[in-house]
Amino acid sequence: MCAGSSWRASRRAVAISAHADAGARDASPLDRALSRLHDILPDQGPIGVFIHHNTLHAFQHLPFHEGVQQGAALLDARPYLDMHEFRSAWRRGRIEDDDAAAAIRRALGHTADERVIFGLSRAEFCLALLRDVVDEEDEAGLAYLQSRAPGSLHGAAHVPAALERLRGLPPRTESDPSPPLRHRDALVRLRAHDTDISVHAELVRLSAVFLDHGQAMAEMPHRHEGFLRAVCELYAAGATEPDACHGVRDDALEVLAQGHSARAVISAAVAALGIDDASFDSFIVATALALPGWTGMFSRLERHPEEIEGPGAVTLADMLAVRLLHERRAIEHAAAVAGLPMDWTSLRARVARHPTSAPAHDAWLLAGFAESAGVSDASIAALSGDELLGYFAEVAAMPRLRRRQLMHEAYERRYRRQILDALHALRPEIPPERHLRPAAQFVFCIDEREESIRRALEEQSPDFETFGAAGFFGVAIDFMGLYDDSPAAHCPVVITPAHEVHESANADEQHWHLRRTGLRDRWRAASRAVHRKSRTLSGGAGLSFVLGPIAAALALSRVIAPRTSLALVDSARERFAPRPSTRLSALRLTEDATSRSERGKLVGFSLAETVDRVGGVLRSLGMTTRFAPVVIILGHGSTSLNNPHESAHDCGACGGRRGGGNARLFAEMANNDAVRDALQAQGLTIPDDVWFIGGLHDTASDDVTLYDLEYLPVGHAAAFQRAHDALDAARRESAAERCRRFANAPLGLSPDAALRHVEARSSHLAQPRPEYGHCTNAIAIVGRRSISRGLHLDRRPFLVSYDPTADTDAAILTRILAAVGPVGAGISLEYYFSAVDNERFGCGTKLPHNVTGLVGVMAGHQSDLRTGLPLQMVEIHEPLRLLLIVDASTEALLTVASRVAEVAELVVNEWVQLVSCDPGTGAMSIFEDGRFVPYVPGAQALPRVQRSRDWHMQSREHLPPALILSAIVRHGTQT
Amino acid sequence: MSVAAIDGVMRWAVIIAICAPLLSALVIGVLLMGRARWMRESAVAGGVTASLFVSAAASFVASACHFGIPGIRVPGNIEYGDWLAVGDYSVPLVALVDGIALTFSLLAATLTALVARFSRTYLHKEAGFARFFVLLAMFAAGSQLVAFAGALDAFFAGWELIGLSSALFIGFFHERDEPVRSSVRAFATYRLCDVGLLIAMVTVHEVLGSTRFSALTASGSLPALESATIGALFLLSAMGKSAQLPFSGWLPRAMEGPTPSSALFYGAVSIHAGLYLMLRVSPVIAVAPVVAGIGVVVGVATAIYGAAMARVHTDAKGALAHATLSQIGLILAEICLGLTRLAIAHLVCHALLRAYQYLRAPNMIHDVHQHGHMDHGHMMFARIAPRLSERIYALAVHRLRLDEQIDRAIAPVLRLSRALARVDARLSGIVQSERSAP
Repeated sequence: MCAGSSWRASRRAVAISAHADAGARDASPLDRALSRLHDILPDQGPIGVFIHHNTLHAFQHLPFHEGVQQGAALLDARPYLDMHEFRSAWRRGRIEDDDAAAAIRRALGHTADERVIFGLSRAEFCLALLRDVVDEEDEAGLAYLQSRAPGSLHGAAHVPAALERLRGLPPRTESDPSPPLRHRDALVRLRAHDTDISVHAELVRLSAVFLDHGQAMAEMPHRHEGFLRAVCELYAAGATEPDACHGVRDDALEVLAQGHSARAVISAAVAALGIDDASFDSFIVATALALPGWTGMFSRLERHPEEIEGPGAVTLADMLAVRLLHERRAIEHAAAVAGLPMDWTSLRARVARHPTSAPAHDAWLLAGFAESAGVSDASIAALSGDELLGYFAEVAAMPRLRRRQLMHEAYERRYRRQILDALHALRPEIPPERHLRPAAQFVFCIDEREESIRRALEEQSPDFETFGAAGFFGVAIDFMGLYDDSPAAHCPVVITPAHEVHESANADEQHWHLRRTGLRDRWRAASRAVHRKSRTLSGGAGLSFVLGPIAAALALSRVIAPRTSLALVDSARERFAPRPSTRLSALRLTEDATSRSERGKLVGFSLAETVDRVGGVLRSLGMTTRFAPVVIILGHGSTSLNNPHESAHDCGACGGRRGGGNARLFAEMANNDAVRDALQAQGLTIPDDVWFIGGLHDTASDDVTLYDLEYLPVGHAAAFQRAHDALDAARRESAAERCRRFANAPLGLSPDAALRHVEARSSHLAQPRPEYGHCTNAIAIVGRRSISRGLHLDRRPFLVSYDPTADTDAAILTRILAAVGPVGAGISLEYYFSAVDNERFGCGTKLPHNVTGLVGVMAGHQSDLRTGLPLQMVEIHEPLRLLLIVDASTEALLTVASRVAEVAELVVNEWVQLVSCDPGTGAMSIFEDGRFVPYVPGAQALPRVQRSRDWHMQSREHLPPALILSAIVRHGTQT
Repeated sequence: MSVAAIDGVMRWAVIIAICAPLLSALVIGVLLMGRARWMRESAVAGGVTASLFVSAAASFVASACHFGIPGIRVPGNIEYGDWLAVGDYSVPLVALVDGIALTFSLLAATLTALVARFSRTYLHKEAGFARFFVLLAMFAAGSQLVAFAGALDAFFAGWELIGLSSALFIGFFHERDEPVRSSVRAFATYRLCDVGLLIAMVTVHEVLGSTRFSALTASGSLPALESATIGALFLLSAMGKSAQLPFSGWLPRAMEGPTPSSALFYGAVSIHAGLYLMLRVSPVIAVAPVVAGIGVVVGVATAIYGAAMARVHTDAKGALAHATLSQIGLILAEICLGLTRLAIAHLVCHALLRAYQYLRAPNMIHDVHQHGHMDHGHMMFARIAPRLSERIYALAVHRLRLDEQIDRAIAPVLRLSRALARVDARLSGIVQSERSAP
C-alpha cells in the first residue's frame, strides 16, 4: 500500500499560498496581504441597504469549481452541499443515475472505461463511490451510520473479509487537513487557552463602538482619529485591560506616545510573535479571517467611505493593528500559562501530526466496492498487493471534494434537463404570432418573484401581455420621495445617477401636505425621544409609567392581530391627515443652474435624455409596435417588520431600494406628447391612445399601488378597469402560489385567504419569513416571452424581455447581458453560498440576531458581524448556478462575450451556465469547457394542466415545469 | 357570592395557575423524550399555549375575586396541608394571595402567554422549537409558584425553575460556544446568590419556627444581628436574580437566546423576580435598616451603572438590557426605602414597556428609516468634565470588567475546592485500594 499517499491535500494551506501567488510581487508583503484581504473579506456594506453579490467575488477569475474550492478552503467553509444531502437527493429522484454517469464521464474523459477493481470500470467505480459506498472518515460517523441502519449499510456483509485482507498492512498517513496557520490554531491544538475568546471579546466591543452609525447614545471619544488611535486613547483615558491581554495598556500608551502607525504596530507584533517571512502571508490572512465580519466591514468602509458617517478614516490596517496589539499579549499570556514557546517556529513544531486513516474506514470502502461489483468474499481475499495499491491510488484520485463536485454537476444537470426539455416541448405549442392589439400590457422587473403574477395575468386572457425589464426601467436617478429625508440612488449599484427626481405635493393639496409633514415631524421627534429617553435613568423612570400601559396594549394588538392593528393605524392616519396627491419633477425645461439640486445634480431629465431613456427601454423590451391602450409598469419593493434584512428583499436593480418611483417616472415620461413626437421622428410610434401607468408591487404583502390615476384619460376608463381587475386577481393568485411554500399556511388556500395571509406576514412582528425573497431562483431567460409563455416555472426564472429579431448587431443584447449577467449571477451566487454553508457564508438563524451600530447583525450579545443571508431566507433554496438561457444565436452570444469582459468571465469560468436557444430553429447549445455544445432534448412529454393552480397546489416542494393551457390557448380577441 | 365560595374559587385558581403550565411541560417533555421525538409544531405550541392561557385565566379569576369584589377580601394564606412532615418539622403547602402576589402573577402569566403566541410564529421551523416551548411552560410554572408561594420552600422551588429555564434559554443555541459560556456564567451567578436564599430559609425556620412569609412579620422581635443577617441573605439572592452590582456581568451575556425569551426574562419577568422577593420579605428589610441601606446603595449604584452602560452599548439588545437594569436598580432602592406602592407600579409599568421594546428590538433598521437618523448624544458629564466623561466611557465600554473581577475574587475558593477534590480523590483511591486488597 502506498504509505505516503495523501488523498486529502492540505486544502487550507494550499488555498492560501495559491492565492498569494496571484498578488502583485513588487509591493511590500504587508501591502500585498492587505490588498488580497480587501478581495477575500466579506464585501457587505451596512445592512440598511443590502446588495446581493457573489460571496466569493475574489475568486471569479478562476473556473467555478476551482474558485469555490479555494475560496471555501480559505474561509473554512463548505463549497458544495454535503455528500449525504446529495445522496438523499439521489434517493428521492432529484438526481438520476444518468446525470451522475454523465458528470463522471465528463470528468474522466477517455479513461472512463479502464478496469479498476473487481472488474469495475473506472466510471462504474466512481458511480459506486458517489452513490453507495460508505465513506465516513471517523469512527464516530461510522458508528452513527451503523446505529441508524444496522446491518443494512452498503457492503456490511463484506466488512469482515475486507478487514481480514487489510490486516497487517501499514496504515496510510494523511496530510493535515487544517495545519495551524497562526499561534491560536497551534495553542488550541495543544489544549492551551483559546486566545480568540478574549481577543474577539475586545475586538467586537471596540469595533462596534467605533463603527456605530448612531445606535448608541454616546459617541466613542477620539473616533475621528481612526480606530487605532481611538482605542489607544480609551486606554489612556483609563480603560482597564483584560487579564488575558496583560500588558496591552502599556503598549497602547506607547503607541500614543511614539505616534506609531498601524503598520508599525503590525510589524512589531509580527516580530514579537516570531513570524518569519515564509509564514508572514498566511499568518496575516488567517489572522484577519478569524473575525471575518467585523474585519470585512473595516475593509468595505475603507473602500466605500461614503457608506458611513462619523468615524475618521476606517482602515483595515488599523483593525489589524488593534487586533495584533491585543493578540500578541494574549498569546504571550496563554503560552506562558501552558508552558509553550511563543516563537512561531518552535510552537508550530510542537503540533503533532494528524492521525492516519483508520483501518475500519478502509475496510468499509473496500467492502462497499465488493458489494457494488457483486463479488464474493473470496475475491477480496484474492486481491494482490499491487491491486490494492492501484485501488487506493484510484480512491485518492477521487477525493471527497471531487466527488461532491461531480454530485453537484449531476444535481445541476438534472434541473437543466428538465428546463431545457420543457422549453423544447413548449415550442410546437407556441401560437402563431398575433397581429391583434393586446388589451393590456404589463411591464415588471425581471425579478423571479414576478414570474407567478405574470403567469397569473397571462392565464386570464391571451389579450394580456407581460414584459420584464431591470426594475429601474432605464431611469437611473437619485430619488427623493415625498417623505424621504434625502435623495437615494435608485439604480443598479454600478451606475452613479446624474439626475435627481423629487416627489412633491400638488399645489392644491399643500395644506394636507403641511399638516401631514407637521404631524409627522412631531411624531418622529417624539418617537426618537421616546427611544432615547426611555433608555436613560430618569427618562426611563418617568416614561415607564406613561408608556408601560400603552406598550402593553400595543404588544397585545400587534401580536394577536398584526394585520388588523396595522390597518387600523393606517386608516386612522389617512383620515386624520390624508396623503396628498403628488407629482414628480420628471422633466426639466431649461439647462440653467436653478435646475440643479443642492447636491449639484440635474433635477429632472431634459427632453433629449427622456427620449433616450424611453426609447431605449421600449426597444430593449421589444415593445415597439402593437401597443395596448393601457401599459402598466410595476416596480417592486418589500415591507416587513423586525427584519434587519428587509432591504435584501427590495429591488436589486434599484440598488436595494423600491422601484415605485422609477416606474412612475418612466410612465410619466412615456406619456409626454413631446417625447412621443420625438420618438416618432426616430421611427418608434406610440399611438395617441396608449397610456402608461406606473406602480409598485410589494412582494411581501402582494399589495399593488398605481400612481397618477387622476391623469388617466377618460376614454381609457374601460380598458384600465379591465387591466386593473386582472392585476387584482393576479396578485391574489400569486399570493396563493407563494403560500404553498410557507409551511405554516394551509396548503390550498383560496386566493383571497392567501392575500390576507401574506398581508399578515408582512405586518407581523414575529415573522422571520415575511417572504422568501429570491430563494429558489435558478434560471434567467432572456428573450421573447413567447418562448416561455405557458410554462409553469415555479417562480424560479428571471424573465428578461428581449427581441432578437429586432437586434441585428447584438447591441441590445450586449446592454442587457452586461446588466443582467452580473446582477443575476450575484443574486444566484449569494443564495448559493448562503445555502451551502449557512454558518460561514450566511448569517445563520435570524432568531438570536442583534442589530449592532446600524451596520449589521451579531448573533447574540457579542459575536462576529454576520454577513450573507439568514437561514430563514435560504432554507428552501437549491444551490445551483444560474442557468442563463438566451434567445439568441451562439454567434450573437460570442459577440457579446467579446464586448463585455465581465460577462465573458462569468460564462467562460462557468459561474453561470449559458445556454443559447436559437431564435429561428429553437436549437439549444450549452456553453461547456470553452465552447457551445449542442443539447439533445429528451423526449419527455410535458404535464398539461388548465391553470397554474391545478399544478402547484399539489405540494410544497419544488415543481418540474408544466404546460399551462390557459396561458397559450388560441382564440380571437374580444376587443 | 359567599366568602366560602370565593375561597374555593381562589383555592382552585391558584392551583390551576401553577399546575397547568407545569403539567404541559411535564407531558410534552416526557413525550419528547420518548417516541414522539418529532411532535408536530402545532401540537407542542398548541398544548403549551393553551396551558399558559388557562394559567393566565386562573390568575385573572383570582385577581378578579381579590380586587373586583368590594367588601370581600380573601384572607392571605390558603392552606393546602403539609407537603411533608418529619416529627415537628414540616414543609407547609401554603399559598399567599394578596395584592402583590396577584399583580406579579397576572403580569407573568399575561406576558408569558403573549410571548408564547409570538414565539409560535417566530420559532416556526427552528430546530429547538419543542424545547423552547417546554422551557417556556417550565418558566411559567416557576413564576406562578414564586408569585403565589406562601412559604420559602415553595418559593425556592419556583425560584430555581426560573433560574434553570433562564440558563437554558441563554444556552438555547448550544451549537455555538458563546451561548454556552454565557449560560454557564448566568447559572453560576444564580447558584452563588441562591446560597443566600437557601441559608436564609433555614435560618428563618430556625429562629422563627416557620418558613411562611406571614411568619416574617414577627422578625421585628429578633435581635438586630439576626434580622440583619437574614435580610442580607435575601438581598444577596435578589441581587443575583436581578443582576444588581456586582453581579451584573451575566445580564448582557444573557442576550444569546431567541429574542422573545430575552423579552420575557430580561425585559419583564425573571429580572424582576429578585425585586418581588424583596417585596415579599419586606417585613425583614423594614426592621433591618442596615440591609435597607445596603439595598439602597446597591440599587442606586446599579441604576447609575446601567444607565452609563446603556449609553455606550451599540447593540439593540445589550442597550435594552442595561436600560432595564438601571430601572431595576431604582426599584430596588424604592423597595428598600419602603416605597412599596411606588415600587410595584414602577415594576409593572416598566416590565410592560421593556417587554414590548425587546420584542421590537430587531426593528431598529426599519425604525431608523421611518423615524429618521439619530445623532449621537452625550456621555454623562461631557459638558462639565470632559476628561471624567471620557473615563466613564472607557470604563463602560468594558463594563468595568465585572466578570473578571468576580473571577479573581472567587479564584481562591475555586483553588481550594480543586485542592479538596484532589485530596478527596486520593483518599477515596486509598479506600478503594484497601477494599480491593484482600
